[in-house]
Amino acid sequence: MDMMKVAQQHVAIDMTPMIDCVFLLMIFFVLIIDLSQQNLEDLVLPRAVYRVLDDQPPKNRPVVNVLQNGSVVYRQRVVYDPAVHGKDYRPIKELLLAIRREGLANKAGRENKLVGGRPVPLMDVPILIRADKWTEWHYVGEIMKQCCQPDIAFWQVELALSEVDKEAGEKDRNRTRR
Amino acid sequence: MSLLEEVQEEVKWDMTPMIDTVFLMIIFFVCIDFKVLESKLQAYLPKESGTRAAIAEPREQLPVRIYVESPGVPEYQSGTAAGLVQEGTKRPNRFVLKDHRVRWEVGPKPLYSVQELTAELKRIALDPSSQVPDQGTGGRKLLGCVIEAHPGTYYDDVAKTADACNEAGFREISFGSGLGGK
Repeated sequence: MDMMKVAQQHVAIDMTPMIDCVFLLMIFFVLIIDLSQQNLEDLVLPRAVYRVLDDQPPKNRPVVNVLQNGSVVYRQRVVYDPAVHGKDYRPIKELLLAIRREGLANKAGRENKLVGGRPVPLMDVPILIRADKWTEWHYVGEIMKQCCQPDIAFWQVELALSEVDKEAGEKDRNRTRR
Repeated sequence: MSLLEEVQEEVKWDMTPMIDTVFLMIIFFVCIDFKVLESKLQAYLPKESGTRAAIAEPREQLPVRIYVESPGVPEYQSGTAAGLVQEGTKRPNRFVLKDHRVRWEVGPKPLYSVQELTAELKRIALDPSSQVPDQGTGGRKLLGCVIEAHPGTYYDDVAKTADACNEAGFREISFGSGLGGK
């Protein structure tokens, strides 16, 4: 084979490895950068056998996280810290009022109900409370108490649970209600 | 090329697609493990709270009280301690509560395990006197229950109690907002 023939030989570029790499990168970033998970603090939720799967959460559902020490975290910001605020729960109330204002501004699930004889717009989008399994209940209860105040009127509250106890490694998939 | 040479030609396996697929599957399963699907327990708070002109009829509910038997000892991972924060997240160090025990009271009867609680709740649920009028349908239904968590109880205790109520067949479960800190 002379040099001319070598130079004219058709060179086929194999695109397969490049496409594979692109797919790998895409899958990696899609799974890692999940923006909806940004509001979720790293907590160990209690395991429950009877629960409702949270596979299709409502759009714009507010998620309030409660850490082990009772700190309330919303969108990665510590709103209430028991060490600082003690029994002054006003920051929680202000947070819920702000969430309500934002929700009503978006007109998501607006419904007027008579509360104390006057029409009050109710938020029909639930609020999700995520607390660590070793969070004292009264911190969660305080948020629930604030939610049912007439000026806040969040009447649907969801408590986050897990199908797995990350501490004990227990798992039960059999009795999930949809 | 003779037929014999053709038969003897070395067959080369192209392993690249298989290795790619294996890597894809490894990455998929490694990443999916981080995203443990969460579940939820729905709690409906009263819509008509606050001052109102109408008189609300009292609802018959079964109180399930949780009391602390042993507060438990927080155990931190090695290298961490109470009062310190994690390097990356700036959140307080997490502890695991050891030897935390609670006692339940359904009526006057004290119960010391989830199994005992479930059995007692099932017994009550099967009792005909636990049926109350259903204003929605006009028939009868099982009364609701309210979980009253006393000071020192944790979210895990309440979740287990709600689980036991569900297993016993109670569908209307309310939560007391907690009766203060420790």
